[in-house]
Amino acid sequence: MRPSLQSFGIAGLVVAALCLPWVVTVPYFLQLIILALIWVVLAQGQNLIQGFTGYVSIAQAGFMGVGAYCSTLLTVKLGWSVWLTLGIAPLFTAFFAVLVGYPSLRVKGHYFAIVTLAYNMVIYIILFTYAALTGGEAGISSVPRPADISIGGVVLSFSGRIGYYYLVLAAAGLATLICALILHSRVGRILVAIRQNETLTEAIGVSAWRYKLFAFVVSASLAGLAGALYAHFIGFLNPDPFGVDQSLNAILAVILGGSGTLMGPVVGAFAVVFLPEYLRVAETYRLVMYGLILVVATIFMPRGLVPLAAQLGQRLVAAFRKTNG
Amino acid sequence: MIVEILQQMLNGLAIGSVYTLIALGLTVVFGILGIAHFAHGSVAMSGGYLTFVFTERLGMSFFPAMAMAMLAGAVVGLLIERLAYRPVRDAPHINAFIIALGLTMMIEGINLLVFGADQVVIQTPYRGVFDVGGIAVAELRLQVIMTTVVLIGVIAYLISRTKTGKSIRAVAQNRPAAVLMGVNVNQVSAVVFSVSSALGAAAGALVGALLAIAPGVGEGLAVKGFAVLILGGLGSIPGAIVGGLVLGVSESLAAGFISSAYKDVIAFLVMIFVLLFRPEGLLGKRS
Repeated sequence: MRPSLQSFGIAGLVVAALCLPWVVTVPYFLQLIILALIWVVLAQGQNLIQGFTGYVSIAQAGFMGVGAYCSTLLTVKLGWSVWLTLGIAPLFTAFFAVLVGYPSLRVKGHYFAIVTLAYNMVIYIILFTYAALTGGEAGISSVPRPADISIGGVVLSFSGRIGYYYLVLAAAGLATLICALILHSRVGRILVAIRQNETLTEAIGVSAWRYKLFAFVVSASLAGLAGALYAHFIGFLNPDPFGVDQSLNAILAVILGGSGTLMGPVVGAFAVVFLPEYLRVAETYRLVMYGLILVVATIFMPRGLVPLAAQLGQRLVAAFRKTNG
Repeated sequence: MIVEILQQMLNGLAIGSVYTLIALGLTVVFGILGIAHFAHGSVAMSGGYLTFVFTERLGMSFFPAMAMAMLAGAVVGLLIERLAYRPVRDAPHINAFIIALGLTMMIEGINLLVFGADQVVIQTPYRGVFDVGGIAVAELRLQVIMTTVVLIGVIAYLISRTKTGKSIRAVAQNRPAAVLMGVNVNQVSAVVFSVSSALGAAAGALVGALLAIAPGVGEGLAVKGFAVLILGGLGSIPGAIVGGLVLGVSESLAAGFISSAYKDVIAFLVMIFVLLFRPEGLLGKRS
C-alpha cells in the first residue's frame, strides 16, 4: 500500500512540475520558482553533509561562488559554451573541495563547522579582493545564458524564463536523484552510521574519513552546479550572494525542511526563497526573524517540516480508517 | 627591518590579546559545557556598541563604560543560556550549534537595528605614543594588553581558587558525577555563560577602541576565536593565550609585509596548516 502511494505522489509531483509554467504565468512567481529550484540543488548538497553525515558545513555559499565564477569566467573570458562550463563548474568545485576537505575533516563536530566557515570567508575575501580576475564588487555583467539546442528541427530555447525553468527543474531532479541513490546505497548507510556513532563505525573497520570526504565533495559540487545555474540565470555576478549568511540560509533550509530526509531540502529551499518575499514588510527585522525561526525550529521541531507533515498525515489516515472501519 | 618586525609584532600582541579574550570566553563554554557558542562574537560586538553609547552619550570614561557593558553582557549571557541552550542540552550537539548560528543572526540583526550600520570607533583618552628604541609604543595598545592580563588573572583565580570554580571544574571533568555530588549544573552553566559573555563584551569594547566595530565584524571575531582554540588546543586556557598571541602576531606580520587585504586569509591559512600537522593544537596533548 505505502510504496504505491509514494510513487503515486512522486508521479503527481513530476506532472505538476512539468505543467507549472503554463499555470503560473506571472513572471515574478516563475522567477522565484526558478531561484527556489536552484536552491533545491544547493540544499540537497547541504543535506548530504549536514543531514545524512551529521557534519555541519558552513561553506556551501562559498562553493556556490567557486562554481559560479568558474563557469562565468570560462564563458566570458574564454568564450566556452555554457553547456560545457555547466559541466565543468561542479567538477572544478569538487576538485577544490577535495583540497580543502582533507585537512578540515581531521577535526570533528563543531570544529569542522568553524573551519568550513573560515573557507567561506577566505573565498569571499578572495572574490572581493582579486578584482583583476573576478571584477571585485563591480562584478561581471552580461553573463550569457546557455545556447539553444535543436533536436530534429525542434528548437529548445533557454534564453527565456520557461526554458530555463526546465533546465533548473532537471538540475533539481538530478540533485535529488543523486542524493536518493547515495542514501539507498552502502555509502549512504555508512554516512548515516557516521552520524549516529562515528567511533563505532570506525571500530567496525570503516575508514570514516573517506566517506566523510566523499559526502563533503559531492555536496560541494552540487553547490558549484547551483552557483553556475544561478550566474547564468541572473546574468550578473558579484561576490555578494556568496557570503557566510547565505551558507547559514542553506543550513536553515535543511533544518526547516527536515534534515536527513529527501524531500526536506526541497521544502526548505522553497521556504527560504519565498519567506523573505512575504516578510518583505519586515525587511529590517529579516535577520532577527530568520535567527528566531532557526532557534525556535531547532528547539520545538528539530526534525523539520517534512517529517512533521508525514506524521500528521499518518495520523489522519489512521483516524480516517478508524472511523470508516 | 628588525625595528619594523618588532613594531608589527607589538601591534600583533595588542590585537592578539583581544583574540585571546574572545577565545577565553569560547573555551570556558566549550570546555565545560561542550557548546560551540558561535554567537559569542556578536555578543562581543553588542558589548562594544554599548561601551560606545556609554562613552559618547553618557560621557562616561572608557573603563567604567566597559565595566557596565560587561555587566550587560553577563545578563545577555544568562538569557542566552536559559532560553536558547538549556532546552537542547540533552539533544545532539549539532542542535546546539545550529541554535548558536540562529542566535548569531538574531544578535547581528538586533545590533543592526539598535546601533545602525555605520562603523563605530570608541574614543579613548589613551592617545600617547612612546618611542622605545625606534619602536612606536602606543599607550592604547599597552592599555589593551594590560586589561587582558588583568581579566585573565581574574578568570584564573575564579576557576582555580573559588568554590564556584571548583564546581565548574567538576562539571567539566564529569558532569554526571558532579551532579551526584550535589553540584547544581544549571547554576554552573549560568555562571559560565555570564562570565564568558562578560569577557566577550570586554573584548568588544577593546576591539572598538583599537580598530572599529561594524556589522559582520562579530562573525569574523568568532571565527578567529575558534581559530585560536584550534591553534592552541581545545579547552586549554594556556592554549587560548598562546594561540591568540600567535594569531595576532602572524596576522600583523602578514599585514605589514605581505598584504593587508589578505591578512585574514593568511590567519586562516595558519589555522589550516596547524590542522594538517598538529590537529591537537600547539599546546594540546597528543591522544
